[in-house]
Amino acid sequence: MGVINETARDNQAPVARGAAIRRTDMRARGEPALWVLGGALALGIAMIAGFLALVAWNGVMTFIPKPIDVVTEIDGTVTAGEPFREELFRPTAEALAALTPDWQQRIAAADGYASRTLYRTGNFDIYGEDFRWIPDFNVTKRERPANFLFVERLEWGPFVGSIKSVTIDGMERPINSLDDPGFVAAHRASRERWKQANAIEKDDIGAINHQLEAARLELRGVQLNSGRDSAEYRQAQERLEAAAAVQRANYDKLAAQVEELRRLNDGNTVTFVAVGGEEKTEEMAHLVRFYPANALSLGGKLSVYFSRWGEFLGDEPREANTEGGVLPAIFGTAAMTLLMVIAVAPFGVITALYLREYAKQGRLVSIVRISVNNLAGVPSIVYGVFGLGFFAYALGGSIDALFYPERLPNPTFGTGGLLWSALTLALLTVPVVIVATEEALAAVPRSMREGSIACGASKWQTIRSIVLPRAMPGIMTGIILAMARGAGEVAPLMLVGVVKLAPELPVDGLFPFVHLERSFMHLGFHIYDVGFQSRNAEAGKPMVFVTTMLLISLIFVMNVVAIVIRNRLRRKFVGSQF
Amino acid sequence: MKTARSVIIIDKAADWIIRIGGIGVIVAVFGIMIFLAQVVVPLFTGASVEGSSAVKVAPGPRALMEVIDEYKVVSTSVDATGKVHAFHIATGTELEAPAFDLGGKEVSAFNRTLNGRDLAFGFTDGTLRLGTLKVGGVVVDNAQVPQGLKRLNDADFTDGKAIYTAISPEQMRVVSIAVELGEETQAAPAGTAIVAIDYRLGGTVERPTRSFITVDAAGIGRLSRTESRTNMLTGATTTTMTSSELPGLPANVHVHALLMTNNADQVYVAEETGNIYRYDTRSFAKPELAETVDLLPGDAAIGAIGFLIGEQSLVIGGSDGSVNVYFRLQRAEAKTSDGFQLVRAHTLEPHAGPVVAMDASQRGKLFVTADAGGDVWVRHSTSEQVVLKLAAKDAKIDTVALAPRENGVVAISADGQAHAWNIAVPHPETTLRTIFGKVWYEGYPEPDLTWQSSSGTDAFEPKLSLVPLIFGTLKATIYSLLFAIPIALGAAIYTSEFVHHRVRAVVKPTMELMASLPSVVLGFIAALILAPLVETWIAAIFCAFIVVPAGLFAGAYFWQLLPSNIALRYGGLPKFVLIFAALIATGFVAFALGPWFERIFFAGDLKAWSTGGHGDSAPFTAMLVFPFAFIVLFMSTQGMVGERFGHILRGENRTLAGLTDLGRWVVTLIAAGVLSYLAALALIIIGMDPRGGIVDTYVQRNTLVVGFAMGFAVIPIIYTISEDALNAVPEHLRAASLGCGATDWQTAIFVILPTAMSGVFSAIMVGMGRAVGETMIVVMAAGNTPLLEWNIFSGLRALSANIAVELPEAVRDSTLYRMLFLAALTLFVMTFAVNTFAELIRQRFRKRAAQL
Repeated sequence: MGVINETARDNQAPVARGAAIRRTDMRARGEPALWVLGGALALGIAMIAGFLALVAWNGVMTFIPKPIDVVTEIDGTVTAGEPFREELFRPTAEALAALTPDWQQRIAAADGYASRTLYRTGNFDIYGEDFRWIPDFNVTKRERPANFLFVERLEWGPFVGSIKSVTIDGMERPINSLDDPGFVAAHRASRERWKQANAIEKDDIGAINHQLEAARLELRGVQLNSGRDSAEYRQAQERLEAAAAVQRANYDKLAAQVEELRRLNDGNTVTFVAVGGEEKTEEMAHLVRFYPANALSLGGKLSVYFSRWGEFLGDEPREANTEGGVLPAIFGTAAMTLLMVIAVAPFGVITALYLREYAKQGRLVSIVRISVNNLAGVPSIVYGVFGLGFFAYALGGSIDALFYPERLPNPTFGTGGLLWSALTLALLTVPVVIVATEEALAAVPRSMREGSIACGASKWQTIRSIVLPRAMPGIMTGIILAMARGAGEVAPLMLVGVVKLAPELPVDGLFPFVHLERSFMHLGFHIYDVGFQSRNAEAGKPMVFVTTMLLISLIFVMNVVAIVIRNRLRRKFVGSQF
Repeated sequence: MKTARSVIIIDKAADWIIRIGGIGVIVAVFGIMIFLAQVVVPLFTGASVEGSSAVKVAPGPRALMEVIDEYKVVSTSVDATGKVHAFHIATGTELEAPAFDLGGKEVSAFNRTLNGRDLAFGFTDGTLRLGTLKVGGVVVDNAQVPQGLKRLNDADFTDGKAIYTAISPEQMRVVSIAVELGEETQAAPAGTAIVAIDYRLGGTVERPTRSFITVDAAGIGRLSRTESRTNMLTGATTTTMTSSELPGLPANVHVHALLMTNNADQVYVAEETGNIYRYDTRSFAKPELAETVDLLPGDAAIGAIGFLIGEQSLVIGGSDGSVNVYFRLQRAEAKTSDGFQLVRAHTLEPHAGPVVAMDASQRGKLFVTADAGGDVWVRHSTSEQVVLKLAAKDAKIDTVALAPRENGVVAISADGQAHAWNIAVPHPETTLRTIFGKVWYEGYPEPDLTWQSSSGTDAFEPKLSLVPLIFGTLKATIYSLLFAIPIALGAAIYTSEFVHHRVRAVVKPTMELMASLPSVVLGFIAALILAPLVETWIAAIFCAFIVVPAGLFAGAYFWQLLPSNIALRYGGLPKFVLIFAALIATGFVAFALGPWFERIFFAGDLKAWSTGGHGDSAPFTAMLVFPFAFIVLFMSTQGMVGERFGHILRGENRTLAGLTDLGRWVVTLIAAGVLSYLAALALIIIGMDPRGGIVDTYVQRNTLVVGFAMGFAVIPIIYTISEDALNAVPEHLRAASLGCGATDWQTAIFVILPTAMSGVFSAIMVGMGRAVGETMIVVMAAGNTPLLEWNIFSGLRALSANIAVELPEAVRDSTLYRMLFLAALTLFVMTFAVNTFAELIRQRFRKRAAQL
């Protein structure tokens, strides 16, 4: 606009001297400053793009099977492993001095930097390390032998090596290829039996233990109520003893079943040999997955890739959370977020209704409004502290004293748990819902309310049938944004109930089915835990990236859904405007 | 027509539910602050007396010592004849207790360990004996309890010798007294009375040691240590003894007390007048007089003296009522043989009368002093406060004892009265001064601000100053805002004023998406990906701070060379793409120039350079000064030669004008470089080296990384709110400005930005609020070291991170627990204040924008 006027003049050369003075000075355009501003925006966009690309790339690539290199070094050391990543580093002076002049020159030419590769060697049980840096200048030979397998097993991390022999049902069998039907079937059967044994231990024996524990607690309750010498106590004791005897018999039966399954599995083993010649015999049941990394077809690669994804999304973690799946964490995140919404939605909406429709609009209400708005800016950790002190200790402690005296001193509700986490996050996100709902309510035209009242509707009828439906898109947006915020919060949860590994899900088949007092796993905390608390941060890193990608997509999807719902509802109400 | 009843009822019900629910939620939300405050308040309210009693116990000779059992049931005292008096504290019922059979000898010296278990008696004939006094509780089943107990009160029973307390329906706790007396040892020449004694047991189970110090009536101090060694094979025990005399004690010394430290490496001989002879006894064969100092100048005498737990702090109560705490510190100016010096660290509120007795806690720095007027004060040494002032009116107090759990005090007076107080002293170590001010902790060379909440040993005193944590929070906030504000505001201004609205419709939601990223993800990326990268490419990053802006400027000056029709046609998105390309290109240039940059600015090795030992800091200082030099030069030349240049710049030949401008920029750049280097030299001469200040020792998880990551979290917030503010400036202002002939740039800077200033400011405040409270990024990427330095290469410990790390392990209602609640309250108040301030400004801005 301004520019256009000026250019128009620019084009009519030559101009009189007097006019030239009024011409726009180059400085008035502020071109250099403009470029810096634009650079700031570009940097912001580059940062997000880079960040998302980093997460997405690592998240998508993690599960792709990588080849196995067998590397021979100058000193004769042979290492086999997946090339994990490469980086530039500065070799020490001693290391440099030991090199050939050729390498010394090459490194000097690169300003003292040399490159090295991190190999995931696996075989932690044999070598005591998972990863190994090998500088390029030490490498004499690099091969990719076709018979090397990458084996994912239940313990000790992956194994890299080849098969020496296979034992099926206690008999050593010659195996020509990995696709040998007998071998495949035996492996599958072993895995099935292993899963079955685990299921028995976890579900059936778990149920028995649960009932025994319930009986113990009941007895203790009777003891607390009527004393140890009372008739009630003796009756309860006899009754529960009888029940427990039945349970114990069941237990023995199930334990025998598990024992039998395990015994069958003992006969199916594979003996592997690592690159250094060390042998390792593993039960087939403990082999989650193995593949010849260097002889994998595209189809084979894809199958490994998707089977890993399947395990990640649908299984429980293993190896201190650095491998396996995140199903409990997904479940925990979803359960907590859902509970939070159940708590936050009605209260947020009621508060907004009160502030907008019922309270007398005055100074006090506007102060309250500002404060509620500001509460959205209060750090989440403060809510966590409050949740721990108030919900878990004060409220939960009272609940324990009133309803679960027989379990004391072990806390039931008196410690962090799913319910307290959900309530803490509800408190944290209630300002978001209040603000969004208020805005939505304010956007409903006054004429509609007046029309409704004039037709004889009561105040509640007006709100229910006229105001709330119209405000629904805004309210929904608020609630979904609150969910997105709640799902991504970790700091308060660390105080009120999230754990690194929850043995039991908050929902199961045992009465009362939903256990709100249990602690739970959470995707965000999983990231923190695996990235920072695990034995080997390097081994956990790929897992963290995938979890990160999952969490970000979850939040991203929630944000998008919020926008879509808002738009759809908006469209729905466009026609009904009068 | 009548309204249906149900409609009225539902309406009323809805009315009530919404009112109650709404007000309830609002109250609940504000209840957070009240709840936090309520947890914090006990830190400052101090202590309370929960009950007191005065009972008559049998009068006897002067009590030498007094001790209370762990459960505060029995008070036991030993008198100079070896008799043990014990009574039930709550009722005063006397118990029958075994006595030390001293064989009728007169006790002339006595001492005991802090827990009152190990005793030493010295006699007038120069002998000494050791004893143990065990007042212990065991839990027994009801079946083992003897019949016919006498009820004392609701919980306690007695059989005349022990106290039985019901602790559950099935079990009782028995507190009983037992004594043991060791063999007689001749410590001084026969017939010379021992006037003072102290001893410590040490060594290991296989090789126990006993270290003694005695002073006899002739003024001779004797030091000896026996070490028993049991031969594993033969089972024979050999005992070796090392002894020597203390050198340098005056002949007519009047020793008030002898004190030996825990591992017997220091001995204090306290004369009645307050003279302390401190001996270095690391070698028992050759003790050295390290220091002689008069701690009670004037004619005051020592009334009571003793160690606090850890046996490093010495409490001296004088006959003038003074109570002071001393400890041994290494001092350069010390005129002592071992370089240490006794320093008065804490001067406490004096008593009105002479101090006559004291007793120290076995679990903290709490102690109790009594004066001749019967005042009994419970004090804390580190916080220097008198926690409780108790009064036993006109009692001539002989001994005073503090219960092991710090929950009771018993004072016994000469007339056989015992005054007992039940006290609660939950948090004696915290006052406003200890939390926010400098505190002199034991063994520290000077008062300091420290956060160190836990350690391995029992004698460890938690150091709970919030200042390093608040400092950490502010440091993280400031560095991240330094990074975030320019980028966020630049991007906001550019988006709002210089791009097409369709570009804006894409860019803005993208930036907002950044705001919803969970901070745990940012923290993870920062700590595990960014931190190692930054460490490797640190020089390249500093280089980028110069090269990227320079590249953008250069791009702009070259853009000016373009003919105006081309510049106009491609002025929108293509120009932005070009800017983007320039950014990426300069980023690569910086990356490539990294090693070269490190050679020039950091003498080839940043880590060695930053600690100050290596290289010259002038180039780096010049780099810091450069932006200011450039702006000053640019502004001043604008005025000085502006008219001349203006003439050329307004000339018809756009290319020539652009070239002139480019030339001017290059000249200014060079001039600014020279100027800033000179300024840097001058700054270094006057002693302002950035090393040791904002740059120092490099650690991997440092403030620079936190600044980047937290900046990443804060940028979208500042960006969105300030962009909204800029966008909310009424369109007619923009139109008017452009209509008057102003360029876009002039409109944006001189019209839009000033109008939206308050909104932009409030955006910055909201961003700051987020940075202050951000938790996961600082937990993961900041290294969590509570330091008080501005060094950008070191870590920090923020309030929020500290809460997240320590609260899960804090015991409920402990001092640490309440301190962490105070940290949370501090955060709450900080962010609430910042946000309210921002909100008020924003409202003012809205009002003003509406008026325009």
